[in-house]
Amino acid sequence: MTHRIVTRLLQAAAVCAVVAGAVFVLLQCAPGDPFATALEGGDIPATVRAEWRARYGIDRPPAERFVRWAGALARGKLGYSASRHQTVAAVVSDAVPRTLLLVGTALILGFALGMGIALLQTKHHRRRIDRALGVLTLGGVAMPEFLLALLAMTWLGARWRLFPVAGIGSLGDVQAFPWWERAADGLWHLTLPASVLAVTVAARVARHQRAALLGVMHEDYIRTARAKGLAEWAVLWRHALPNAIGPVIALLGLALPSLIGGAVLIERIFGWPGMGLTLFDALLARDYPLVLAAVLLATVLAVVARTLTDFIAELVAPRRAREPL
Amino acid sequence: MTPLLSVDGLQIDVSATGDAAAKPILRDVTFAVNAGETVGLLGASGSGKTSLALALLGLLPPALSARGRALFDGHDLIAMPDHVRRGLRGRRLSMVFQEPLTALNPRLRVGAQVAEVAHAHGERDARRAMRAAVDMLDRTGLHEADARARRYPHELSGGERQRVLLAMALLLDPALLIADEPTSALDVTVQAQVLQLLCAQQRERGMALVLVSHDLGVIATTCVRTLVVHDGRVVEDAPTRQLLAAPEHPQTRALVDAVRPRRRIA
Amino acid sequence: MTPHAWRRLMDDRPAVLAAAVLTTAAVVSLLAPWLAPYDPTVQPDPVALRLIGPSVQHPFGTDPFSRDVFSRVLYGARVSLGVAFGAMLLSVSLGAALGALAAVLGGWVDLAISALVDILIAMPRLLVVIALVATFGTLSPWWLVALIGGSGWLTTARIVRGEFRDHLNRDYVLAARALGATRWRIVWQHLLPAVAPQIAVAAALALAAVIPLEAALSFVGLGIQPPLPSWGNILLDGTDYLTSAWWLVVFPVGAVTMTVSAALVLADRLRVAIAGEERAP
Repeated sequence: MTHRIVTRLLQAAAVCAVVAGAVFVLLQCAPGDPFATALEGGDIPATVRAEWRARYGIDRPPAERFVRWAGALARGKLGYSASRHQTVAAVVSDAVPRTLLLVGTALILGFALGMGIALLQTKHHRRRIDRALGVLTLGGVAMPEFLLALLAMTWLGARWRLFPVAGIGSLGDVQAFPWWERAADGLWHLTLPASVLAVTVAARVARHQRAALLGVMHEDYIRTARAKGLAEWAVLWRHALPNAIGPVIALLGLALPSLIGGAVLIERIFGWPGMGLTLFDALLARDYPLVLAAVLLATVLAVVARTLTDFIAELVAPRRAREPL
Repeated sequence: MTPLLSVDGLQIDVSATGDAAAKPILRDVTFAVNAGETVGLLGASGSGKTSLALALLGLLPPALSARGRALFDGHDLIAMPDHVRRGLRGRRLSMVFQEPLTALNPRLRVGAQVAEVAHAHGERDARRAMRAAVDMLDRTGLHEADARARRYPHELSGGERQRVLLAMALLLDPALLIADEPTSALDVTVQAQVLQLLCAQQRERGMALVLVSHDLGVIATTCVRTLVVHDGRVVEDAPTRQLLAAPEHPQTRALVDAVRPRRRIA
Repeated sequence: MTPHAWRRLMDDRPAVLAAAVLTTAAVVSLLAPWLAPYDPTVQPDPVALRLIGPSVQHPFGTDPFSRDVFSRVLYGARVSLGVAFGAMLLSVSLGAALGALAAVLGGWVDLAISALVDILIAMPRLLVVIALVATFGTLSPWWLVALIGGSGWLTTARIVRGEFRDHLNRDYVLAARALGATRWRIVWQHLLPAVAPQIAVAAALALAAVIPLEAALSFVGLGIQPPLPSWGNILLDGTDYLTSAWWLVVFPVGAVTMTVSAALVLADRLRVAIAGEERAP
């Protein structure tokens, strides 16, 4: 078991290292350098420009710059964001928790909802409710998250005014309100974006869980459980589900990168100030250090989450329990 | 004396929409089982005998459907709603299956799986249920039942697993036990032990036993009466001794000859 | 897949329906210049024809620039599906080639390719493409095809590598080698045909992944640039009017959802057909 943990951690570290390297390379390829916008427009003499560049080590050879950059990265220094007039680290430390909140809520809600749908479908297999839910989950998987977000925003948000369409809070001067009002307001703003993401998660979970459950329902021990006089829901819950849940958790881990990609778009659409929105604003402002830091962090997040889900899957459904004598 | 189980004109069809004119798996099945009787269901593979057992418990796969009547305790098993039948399963009417390894949930400890029968029929006290389960496992001859009860199915031998299944079936003292090829998946030496156990339990409880098998030897040692199933029909219904001595149907004769050749070969 | 399996597939209603939807979409997009009632980029009357709801003259309404949405959706199909099919073909071919190389050559080639796959698969594809587009500036549709296609070979490579390795252990390959067949002959004559159904499934799934990706990129302004229409940028053009002009949202969303659903259903039915073959050939 420890061997597997170490392997997984090494793998995760390798991925992060490669991504960091790729990000650095892209940084170099980006037209202009961080000082392009600040220094080019204007009558700043060439010598001053050269001096600034030397100060920041931009004129050194790429290999040396990478080492320095990686070192700075390891120490948590991600560079300076010209568009926000803050260090990238400062921008990011505000934004990352918000993205985590969004994605985390969506995952939990979506998983629970998807599980419920799958159980319902399995219990009423081949009947109308199974087919109807099947069509719904297909739509949920087929419709890209950002389109669902647009629809939700257009109808639930703007037209019917049930939920706010943008931002993280509508209270204005935050300190003037008690914490529970702030929390409630935050929750109200979280609802639409998290729900949209949750629907995407639920649709995928439901489809895979249903397939896994139906695969298990043919096993002999299900027949034994019924022969004991167990009610159908008890058969599903105690016997079918534990044996069918493993592949779904592992699959969730594999789907996490695309979920985070989707979250990025949703943040943009709903104006949720997490890593996604930061990314897009930075793109518009050609703030490359921020752009690439955002990409790097999102990937790291995906890697960490995937490693975690792999571990959880191994815990919940160990692959070794079934060796016969 | 009214029979415990009275089957009348039972028919099992393939209900899938494909073949409307398909041959039924079983038809015109009529027989009775009295309380405390031991009846054997003898037939080759594919003769429909397992389907008969499953139909009585209401466990037919969705592709098959049953018609006719099967009166148990005065109620028709075929016609009754599923939740009523569920109340009977495991309590008054039990079944033991053929493959002990796959018939047990690989992720649950065996003791818990046996205790589950009690929970399914209303036992709320977890400790009492588990004690009853361990006690039952002990009575089915499982050594160190206490320790074994905490094991997983893959940690037990084939014979031990079959005992677990038997304990599950007998926990609530059913009036009728159906055993579907209970020894076919076991080693020969273990087979004899399990059969002995089956007979002992049957005698001790005065329980009715229906033993489904393709092996006449197995049936001959355990059952007083035998029904022969061939090609979807019951072709003979007679005391076992009589069947062995003077089989009427050619299929029966073939099966008897397989066990006791009439002419010596060497 | 045997001819018998093909015939069974043709009886499979969902599969046929899905294939029909995709074929119709492809045909319609190719015939767009003849089917579209108006030129999608012309703005005939910037004031009078702005934002009209669906009508007989404009079945899908008009957009904020007075352009006919129906024509834009048709031409957009050309672009969106064109990019999607192109990217799908690229990623599937690339993935199949790399997977085959990894399986057949083995050794460090296999190690390198597998490690690469394991690393890259952790990166959110959307972000990778965004990062690339951001770095190199906005792109022509061809570059878009290259970027999107080039980022999607991972799953196909895994599938092909797995299948190849499985088949390489089978007796018929051993027999072929005993008869003197070279590795490449075995690959072309035996392995690729055997793996073709799986590759078809991967292709359908790739299509289902790429269509939304292009739409997303175009929607945020990083993909197909206006005035060239794509399903994504029809939505972009209408962002300020989405609440009042529902037709700007519903039709592009419907088009995307329909094609992606069809691709997913097709992939699913193909998979079922393949599994059926394996159980009872």
